[in-house]
Amino acid sequence: MDIISQLQEQVNSIAATTFNVFGTLQRDAPPVQLSLNYPDPPPSAPTTDEPKQLSADLVKAAKQFDALVAALPLSDGGEEAQLKRIAQLQMENHVIGQELHKQ
Amino acid sequence: MRVNHILSFFLAPCRRRIISEARNQSPSIFDHPRFPPLKRRMATATYPPPPPYYRLYKDYSENPSSAPEPPPPIEGTYVCFGGNYTTEDVLPSLEEQGVPQLYPKDSNVDYKKELRSLNRELQLHILELADVLVGRPSQYAKRIGDISSIFKNLHHLLNSLRPHQARATLIHIMELQIQQRKQAVEDIKRRREEAQRLLKDAFVTLDGQ
Repeated sequence: MDIISQLQEQVNSIAATTFNVFGTLQRDAPPVQLSLNYPDPPPSAPTTDEPKQLSADLVKAAKQFDALVAALPLSDGGEEAQLKRIAQLQMENHVIGQELHKQ
Repeated sequence: MRVNHILSFFLAPCRRRIISEARNQSPSIFDHPRFPPLKRRMATATYPPPPPYYRLYKDYSENPSSAPEPPPPIEGTYVCFGGNYTTEDVLPSLEEQGVPQLYPKDSNVDYKKELRSLNRELQLHILELADVLVGRPSQYAKRIGDISSIFKNLHHLLNSLRPHQARATLIHIMELQIQQRKQAVEDIKRRREEAQRLLKDAFVTLDGQ
């Protein structure tokens, strides 16, 4: 897959990991004492390691996005430089085409 | 919904037949399918007929110009199945979509730097959202709006890289083509010289005899 599509996939996967992280946190959160009138909540259910893994995934995905950005083959030419190069290549192509024709 | 209807129509009689056989009873009125029989039902779902102007092309094989020309390509906007489409492939700018633009609006924007800074902003906002959810849970909406606008900016930046990529691909293809043509020229020169050499050798051998 080309690098821009990879970058787009990476952005989407960062978004997916983000809402998975928040969903897991909200689903597995232990109860908390809201008001001082009521007694302490019972001790929490066995805590899993999943939020830690998911947040590590999130950081890894962000780092991979940075790595992909660094790998972008972006020349500083800008649009005009590219268009000039295209015109140059077109002329060269034309010359060689004529020579081929002669041969 | 229609698929469910058709599926249940197919499954229902089998189920009823199995049940009545299991109970060892004679077939009852409950075995009649609930829906109208297959033939009547499918008459409403046949393919549409061909468009009526096929008659204009009766003599096409003898006289190709007696039939009308195909319609010219559409320009501008057109409506297809209730949706508006344009024929120009232009990436709409962020302001038109109502999303605030977070990177500087310049003609030569440094893509790598902006992508990286947007990524860091995104991470910070995610952490901020987590904090807000812990402390002030009712204020999540604004943070989520910020995060979604960062995502939209990211995608917009990436999409605006596509024309650059297209031009780079074009340059690459043209370089390849020039190289191939040079190769072909060289090949032809070589072959022609070799053919001339062979002919000369043949003449020499014939004269020598």
